[in-house]
Amino acid sequence: MKSFRTGLAAAVALSVLLGLARDTGHAAGPPTKSFRWGADREGGGPYTYPDPNEPSRVIGFEVDLANALGRQMGREARLVLCGWDQILSDLDRGDIDLGLNGYEYTAQRARHYAASIPYYIYELGLSVREGSLIKSWADLRQPLKGRRPRVGVLGGSSADRFATAEYGATCEIVRFEGTVEAFKLIDIGQIDATVQDLPALEFYLNRLKRYPRLRIVDHPAQPGYYVLYARRSDDSLIDEVNVALRKLYEDGTLRQIYQKYGLWNAAQERLPEVWKHWPPADAAPEAGALTQIRAELPLFFRAAGVTVILAFLSMPLAVGIGLAIAIIRAWPSAVLGGSGAPPTIAGRLLRGTTTLYVEIVRGTPLAFQLFVVYFVLPDLGVTISAFWSGVLALAVNYSAYEAEIMRLGIQSIPVGQMEAALSLGMSRPLAIRRIILPQAVRTVIPATANDFIALYKDTAVCSVIAVEELSKQYSVAAKSTGLFLHMAIVASVLYLAMSWPLSLLAAWLERRLNGKGLS
Amino acid sequence: MLSVTNLVKRRGDREVLKGVNLRVERGTVGVLIGGSGSGKSTLIRCANGLEPFESGEVVVGDARLAAGNGGGREQQLCTLRRSVGTVFQQFNLFAHRTTLENVIEAPIYVLHKPRDEAIRQAELLLARVGLSDRLDALPHQLSGGQQQRVAIARALAMQPEVILFDEPTSSLDPKMTAEVLGVMTDLAKSGQTMLVATHAMSFARRVATNVHVLVDGFIVESGPPEQIFDCPTHPATRELLTSATFG
Repeated sequence: MKSFRTGLAAAVALSVLLGLARDTGHAAGPPTKSFRWGADREGGGPYTYPDPNEPSRVIGFEVDLANALGRQMGREARLVLCGWDQILSDLDRGDIDLGLNGYEYTAQRARHYAASIPYYIYELGLSVREGSLIKSWADLRQPLKGRRPRVGVLGGSSADRFATAEYGATCEIVRFEGTVEAFKLIDIGQIDATVQDLPALEFYLNRLKRYPRLRIVDHPAQPGYYVLYARRSDDSLIDEVNVALRKLYEDGTLRQIYQKYGLWNAAQERLPEVWKHWPPADAAPEAGALTQIRAELPLFFRAAGVTVILAFLSMPLAVGIGLAIAIIRAWPSAVLGGSGAPPTIAGRLLRGTTTLYVEIVRGTPLAFQLFVVYFVLPDLGVTISAFWSGVLALAVNYSAYEAEIMRLGIQSIPVGQMEAALSLGMSRPLAIRRIILPQAVRTVIPATANDFIALYKDTAVCSVIAVEELSKQYSVAAKSTGLFLHMAIVASVLYLAMSWPLSLLAAWLERRLNGKGLS
Repeated sequence: MLSVTNLVKRRGDREVLKGVNLRVERGTVGVLIGGSGSGKSTLIRCANGLEPFESGEVVVGDARLAAGNGGGREQQLCTLRRSVGTVFQQFNLFAHRTTLENVIEAPIYVLHKPRDEAIRQAELLLARVGLSDRLDALPHQLSGGQQQRVAIARALAMQPEVILFDEPTSSLDPKMTAEVLGVMTDLAKSGQTMLVATHAMSFARRVATNVHVLVDGFIVESGPPEQIFDCPTHPATRELLTSATFG
């Protein structure tokens, strides 16, 4: 499963900002007797994937292809593992010389990178769970049981562009960073269908049979071409690749490789014909960066709104849960009117449970909790949408920290406050509610405000379960336009515009409380 | 009115109160004197249930508080505290509430009085302790003496049968001590039943109906102030009186 891509994307954006971009990479240059090719082994089969029998070994038709190309070119093919969505930026950075990982040809990419001739002609397939009401592409144009069908795609892929363009108006497009998430989610009912490259669908559903309830429906659509990409300055390397590809086709090696993985079909016979007219005419002239940013801006604002809503829904929940836990844990203490009586078994159990909760939640990463809520709870019969999974995971994660903050806040209140309240005939719950909590909450406002800023930025983790919040929008926009730096700046400005006022507010609250002092 | 019978309080291995017997009749003022660490505060805290005790009992009117810390105590405490008010050495005003809010809090939330009525009553009480002009002040804006007078008004607002004072002037300077003792004297004259733990001997002499001398967890001597101050019979009382200041 692909996690923490967001962090990686941010790191990439940062390095671009720092000027470590393509020139440095170029200086490193391709070695004469080898080439480094980039692929993502988590991208899945049949492309490049871990050998199920020996997970440390990477296999796939692209591995065989790269090695065959290497032999033809008289170079050693060295595989560099990278994130699928990072392959083009890794080219820029000079970490790899060729991208070879089911990357389809687009005119947009061909403007920024040197593209080879196609090595495979693929089509897009539609897959659903057996018994689904969706039986054809046309069914994606109408509501499913009164709502928009949810369609999973690999974010930034040709399937994403195709589904968004054709069915974006009638479907909710859910963008993932890997291929297998969508299968799993269809299986558990979180999403309704997936549009994917046919080789991937056939590999997982027909060859591995890992998701027996999933079916490929309707005929394949929208043919496209997998090509290798290199840096623009390396077009001689692409020339070598093209020569080698033609040789491999002529001597039957290509066919052998594809047959080995069950990928050979009539479409591949058209390869030489396609090569004759390569590259296809570039219909649309390139839009300027500003135009592209302007086109993305509404999406960025919408995503920023999702980020804000995520934060403002989950924080009050976190504070509420944290407060309840803090009261349970501090119940025996004198400041909450504990009399020093030996605890009851029920009380001890309850407190033990909260301690366990706090330790488990604080001891595991937020992303992991998110996966549990989104991917594991459905197996137990609880299905929550991605958005509410995000809210829940953030609330749970921060409740553990809020619980500790609140407990310290409660224990900072002088015991005399409780004693005075009890002496006036108040019950413990009344005294806690009217006397202790209002003061405790006031003392923890600065700490909680700081936590809120942290939570607000942690909403970015929700991108891993395809919640369309700000960092997800950044990664989709950057990948689809190639404007990593520009989009990073837009996203950063939006984050900053929202978190800065919060920081100022927190600082102001802290000053105010320190200055005045209570009691 | 208030009677403490055979009260024993232990802290770990140490017996702090070793069987205390004490009565305060309705409309009278009992003053508890004794050296530091003699157990005065502990006795007051046991009498309003802030600390459990090992044996004996406390009775106020119809309310009875038994020894131990078992079930049923919460209910006993609730009944008892309706009739017992407490004024603390450290005032313990609710730090987040104004003068007026401190006084109306319990009448509204415990006695369920209408807010208007609680405010009217609070204003009268605050006038009585001389704080009509500080209704909206927060505790940290008040002097110690003012805070303690608010605390007295707060206790009075519950119309308790007896008010316990736990060294009410020990944290105050002489001027503020005088203003608080003045309020307490007025209170005694109006017939409020009170039990006061204090070091203020001249107050005890002037105001007490009965003085109780607590030494090492025992009441060694009880009686009217003239008797205790002028012809003490117990050597510990004499020792206490010679070291005490009559400020």
